Amino acid sequence: MKGDRLKFLSENMESFSHADRLFLNNPVVMQGLGLAPLVVAATSMKNAVILAVAVFLLLMPTRVVAAFLSRFAYFRFRGFTYSVTASVLYIGVMYIINLLYPSADILSVGLYLPLLVVEPIIIKRYERPQKERVRTAFKKGILTSVGFIIVLVIIGFLRELLGSGSLYGIQLLQNAPLPFLRMTSGGFIILGIVIALWRAGVNAYKKYINMGAKRYAGSN
Amino acid sequence: MQEVTKTLGSFFVYAILAVFAQNTVFSRALGVSRLIKLVDDSTVDSLTFGALLCAIQLMSATLAYFVNVLIIQVAWLNSIKAYIRPLAMVLCAAVGFFVILGFIVLVFKLESAKNVVAVLPMATFNCCIIGTLLITTTQNFTLMQTMGFAFGSGVGYILAVLVVTEGQRKLQNRSVPATLKGMPITLIYIGILALAIYGFTGHMPTF
Repeated sequence: MKGDRLKFLSENMESFSHADRLFLNNPVVMQGLGLAPLVVAATSMKNAVILAVAVFLLLMPTRVVAAFLSRFAYFRFRGFTYSVTASVLYIGVMYIINLLYPSADILSVGLYLPLLVVEPIIIKRYERPQKERVRTAFKKGILTSVGFIIVLVIIGFLRELLGSGSLYGIQLLQNAPLPFLRMTSGGFIILGIVIALWRAGVNAYKKYINMGAKRYAGSN
Repeated sequence: MQEVTKTLGSFFVYAILAVFAQNTVFSRALGVSRLIKLVDDSTVDSLTFGALLCAIQLMSATLAYFVNVLIIQVAWLNSIKAYIRPLAMVLCAAVGFFVILGFIVLVFKLESAKNVVAVLPMATFNCCIIGTLLITTTQNFTLMQTMGFAFGSGVGYILAVLVVTEGQRKLQNRSVPATLKGMPITLIYIGILALAIYGFTGHMPTF
């Protein structure tokens, strides 16, 4: 990386990491949001994809509509506004999911699909009293969804490959190396390990940028 | 007399089932995100949070039972129950929220109970409450079973918070690698506890 770029990144690292919802400030890894579906329901890629579609369809619209409604004094109970908005939008999302997937696949996700309406990843914004602009809600909604979906797919991939020895239903390994990953406890442990590695990656990246910027400043 | 004993028996069996064998956190991971925040956050008192959660849980689950009976009996509502169930459950929890809010405002002065009111939305609109309501309604529990399960879920959640808070002191030990410190080691710790409970009960609850 060029010296000027490193210096610029190092000086503005805080604002970059605040805005980046994919890697540096991933909502799951850094803030611990949306853990329930990851730990229990994301045991296979198929489940992970169903949840990903539902989150993508639900998160951004909920955030935009609730940010708009919160502007009015009638909706001063933000927690209520956000959850009711999400559960009304869920009716439409469920309709689309029903069209896309057979009911047996939807049943395998169980109660974690309807539970998305109160999942912190979707309604977390209500905890902050500052009003949110609709455009910001739109942008952050999409970025947060993508950040969550990346972790969801990684966890689904690891749990299906190591827990069942298959990938998207196709058997790849004769014996599953770690069958306990199919269980809830396995979900907690693999998620803990993935988050630890991700955070180590973030720290290493920040260190690389800072050291590079210092070296550049020293050479000039 | 036998009827009363039987009813009370089913209440306690389901309460104990919800506290240990089907603990909301250790077997279904409901409300884990909130639990991890709660353990780190010294501004929110865990016991106040737990007491509010238990009260709202019990009230909204009882209400949800009757709402579910209504949904099943009315034919056109029954045909779309998979779509409207989350909305109905959120509204049931909201009724619990407003009743508790009204109670706090009437009995205590709002100024003195400001901290409690600030915690109230977090104790209402979370996965633990709505998850329990969804379990009791989709698995068609009877009224007593519903109340027992709801009460047990609240107590089980408080128990999980206390266990994880207690573990937190040991997890801050210097021998824990720096990479794992904070959320990752807490998750692994909860995972090991979940494994212990699985070993104790021997089966995974349906979800």
